[in-house]
Amino acid sequence: MRPIPAHVPPEMVGDFSLFTSPGMAPTPNGDPQASAAAALEGPRIFYSQMNTRDGRGTWVVTRADDQRRVLQDPETFSSHRSIFASALGESWPMIPLEIDPPRHALYRSMLNPLLSPKRVMAMEEAVRERAAVLIDKILASGTSCDVMDDFAFPFAVNIFLRFLGLSDDRLEEFVGWANNLLHGDDEQRPRAARTIVEFIRSLAEERRRNPVDDFMTFVVQAEIEGRPLDDQEVLGIGVLLFVAGLDTVAAAIGFDLRYLAEHRQDQELLRREPAQIVLAKEEMLRAFSTVQMIRVATRDVDFEGAPIKKGDYVSCASMIANRDPDEFENPDRLDLGRIGNRHTAFATGPHRCIGSHLARREIEVALEEWLARVPPFRIKEGTTPITYGGHVFGIEGLVLDWS
Amino acid sequence: MKIKVHNDICQGHARCAATAPDIFQLDDDGYILPGDIEVKPGDEDRASVGAMSCPECALEIEE
Repeated sequence: MRPIPAHVPPEMVGDFSLFTSPGMAPTPNGDPQASAAAALEGPRIFYSQMNTRDGRGTWVVTRADDQRRVLQDPETFSSHRSIFASALGESWPMIPLEIDPPRHALYRSMLNPLLSPKRVMAMEEAVRERAAVLIDKILASGTSCDVMDDFAFPFAVNIFLRFLGLSDDRLEEFVGWANNLLHGDDEQRPRAARTIVEFIRSLAEERRRNPVDDFMTFVVQAEIEGRPLDDQEVLGIGVLLFVAGLDTVAAAIGFDLRYLAEHRQDQELLRREPAQIVLAKEEMLRAFSTVQMIRVATRDVDFEGAPIKKGDYVSCASMIANRDPDEFENPDRLDLGRIGNRHTAFATGPHRCIGSHLARREIEVALEEWLARVPPFRIKEGTTPITYGGHVFGIEGLVLDWS
Repeated sequence: MKIKVHNDICQGHARCAATAPDIFQLDDDGYILPGDIEVKPGDEDRASVGAMSCPECALEIEE
């Protein structure tokens, strides 16, 4: 663990980490979001000595309103971090996530149309068909399944592959890369990162030679400021697409189905009234948020009494803000009909998740098709799902049974 | 009732339009169109919920 920097007052150091606090390590039947939200019992801001995947300390901003102020102020709180590249000992940004305004807007406006609400609507039929095929396969092979392995991951990866214009036959391979990258050890992670870099590079090269109608062709043909994107920009965009949309969507589906398995009345409600799923999934996104946004201070700044120094990391964990009682009435209770639900599962500020419209649709469609096809389900007797916190919160070993 | 639209704060979450697409109109990328919104009588509740749903607080309700 790194020493606490001298400018951090000892009384502002909190005993908390999204990586090591109770409930963050893999925990049978845990509730990592509730565990993380325990930080709301403490001060508005404090210092955590170990709060990133690479073992760095961060300030932790706990209140929803304060997180919004940080994330809406990219001049003071920069996103320039090169987290993917640093695993390889390199320092290029994932784009647009790790680019600050004003340049950020150039990339963002170029990519927005590819993931706009309208474009996502056009993709819906394919997404729905994918969910249906996977679920029907599960139903044909028995009366229980491992939700993450048999449904959530293949579903998310499949849609990603379709977006890249690739066929399903490499699905297993992709799931493996994603798993190693996100959950692997110190050897697996850089190896997976290198594999993904090589894959994006060769795909870009292939699309330059033989353009088709897909994401990577768009990227290699795109221009900013009157010039084509260079190789590093193409890589930065491709890598972000890879790392951002797999685990997150799959984890959301897993947490949601686990909740519905354990809350039969809510399951019955959504089964009876599928039109409620659109709103219900927002409430589940709020309660089961999976990511923390980290920013880097660009200057010394006093924030709610914390003497933040230039270069300090500032964490805005969505799962904490989304249970702030000043923002949400009865935050620990799930109210599937909650209205005016301004949760920040997709962050706020200029880096609002560019894939949020697609992710929302994927989750809705997954729940709609699951509830329409699978009989009333519960956690299989004798099995216990394992939850974990960390870089992206998640769940595994979720075995559902409808015998 | 009027909704003051802060386009500089809108980040294209499209939550307002998910609640009331007829009241909150978006551009092709999903960001709210410029201009404050005069809410028609009878639409106040849906307009309020739509405005409250904005994660950025870009929609200000003016009675």
